[in-house]
Amino acid sequence: MPHTESKKLKSFGILNFIIVKKFITIFVILGILYLIPLMAGGNLMAQNLVPEASESGSGLLRGLEQFWDYTGFANASIGNLIMIAVGLFFIFLAIKYDYEPLLLIPIGTGILLGNIPFQPGVGVGIYEEGSVLSYLYFGVTQGIYPPLIFLGIGAMTDFSSLISSPKLMLLGAAAQIGVFGTFIGAVALGFEIHEAGAISIIGGADGPTAIFASAKLAPQLIGSIAIAAYSYMALVPVIQPPIMKLLVSKKERKIRMKPPRAVSKLEKMLFPIIALLLTTFISPTAMPLLGMLFFGNILKESGVTDRLAETARTKMIDIVTILLGVTVGASTQASVFLTSSSIKIFLLGAASFVLATAGGLIFAKIMNLFLSEGNKINPLIGAAGVSAVPDSARVVQMEGVKSDPSNHLLMHAMAPNVSGVIGSAVAAGIMMSFLS
Amino acid sequence: MNDVESLAVDWSEIWIITAVGYTVVFIALVLLVFVFKNLPNFLNFKFRKKEKKVNYNSKDPEGEKYLSGEVSAAIGMALSLYFKEQHDEESGIITIKRVSRTYSPWSSKIYGVNNNPR
Repeated sequence: MPHTESKKLKSFGILNFIIVKKFITIFVILGILYLIPLMAGGNLMAQNLVPEASESGSGLLRGLEQFWDYTGFANASIGNLIMIAVGLFFIFLAIKYDYEPLLLIPIGTGILLGNIPFQPGVGVGIYEEGSVLSYLYFGVTQGIYPPLIFLGIGAMTDFSSLISSPKLMLLGAAAQIGVFGTFIGAVALGFEIHEAGAISIIGGADGPTAIFASAKLAPQLIGSIAIAAYSYMALVPVIQPPIMKLLVSKKERKIRMKPPRAVSKLEKMLFPIIALLLTTFISPTAMPLLGMLFFGNILKESGVTDRLAETARTKMIDIVTILLGVTVGASTQASVFLTSSSIKIFLLGAASFVLATAGGLIFAKIMNLFLSEGNKINPLIGAAGVSAVPDSARVVQMEGVKSDPSNHLLMHAMAPNVSGVIGSAVAAGIMMSFLS
Repeated sequence: MNDVESLAVDWSEIWIITAVGYTVVFIALVLLVFVFKNLPNFLNFKFRKKEKKVNYNSKDPEGEKYLSGEVSAAIGMALSLYFKEQHDEESGIITIKRVSRTYSPWSSKIYGVNNNPR
């Protein structure tokens, strides 16, 4: 049996080889056929051939030169090559390590698209008026995509863990220290106040919010801010565990929390409505984000608009993620992106994630001081207060299980995680209302 | 010089934005905490009123509310059996759909002549 198999394979290989050989022969012959008239000057006509052979030859050269000038090879700069390497690295990270693949693949490909070198004025670049990419980018610069993403997030988020233990919401607020700390840091590094406001939202660890805020406050920095926010969100599993280990003792990591109580349907329905009214009254500038987030949740929890909720959390969010990812990636054209401010933004981004995580953890420890013995919370869940849904909650779960394999913190961590989304949107709203 | 001046002016504003901003984020979420801490009480209050009207015969109403795992398993089993049984009561109408085998014209010359889409 194996013998016949190998025989079959062998004959298949030979057949393939013959086909490939045939193709090569055909292509070579066709190539020669096309090259002969080209070498003779473009049009192989009897009347052109004899008298002006030399001029046609220079015509060919000119044509080739013009063609060369239009190619990416002639226009490539070191910056383009660096950015293409970054794009490839993003795609590699997404495929190999599964870091936020839904975002890093579109962004990585977008970076490749945005850094294909071309002659200015051809009308293909994202910053060239009338190009297809510039039309798609319109959704980013005008802040259209982020609220649509929030609609989808609202339609897929279950707020029941938050409703069952509302006190955990404070952790989401505490982690917003990342936003305000970065704001001070950005001003200290010499950024203009509006730019600092936009950069600070990276600390909210929420891509759509960061894009929305920077579209309003510092549109020239959208590319760098979005890339920083998304890459650090992808790196949450790398950034957070060391800080957790540093700030939370082994004993504290083993704290078991009371299982969350069952939440009634009515409470789930009331949550988005009350939260929508309350948060948008406090921070009306965050209305496009929070309004859509809670609208999505109303669609989900009302129980009568399943079709709409289903579309919002699947097809629609997918479409918008594709458009957002590719255009944000493409906006990192080397000439605009590779500046000293981008490097500073990256540094600030890293600092803001560290600060936000530490803020959440420390606040959880402070809360424990006031809680009775049976009601203590595991300080690890404070780290989920940075939004980055649901990655940071997953990191908390993994770290919790490492200390005690039967201690599952995921459900508890989802509460600060989703309240982090609300908190960062409110923070972004405040920044915008102060600065715009 | 101008830079230094503008930075000096900015800093007070920046501290204000930071302090107010962080406080407002907290206020927003503390209000939500407050509302949702009290919401179950409020809802239960309404339900309690209703419950009072119902006359419990049982001596231990709290015990009545508790369902052991075995009881819920039995209820689940009964429901599952009931819904599975429902399948048997289907309508007796049988529809026989006539399946006509479509004519395959792959080698028919006359078909090719008559039914050429061009």
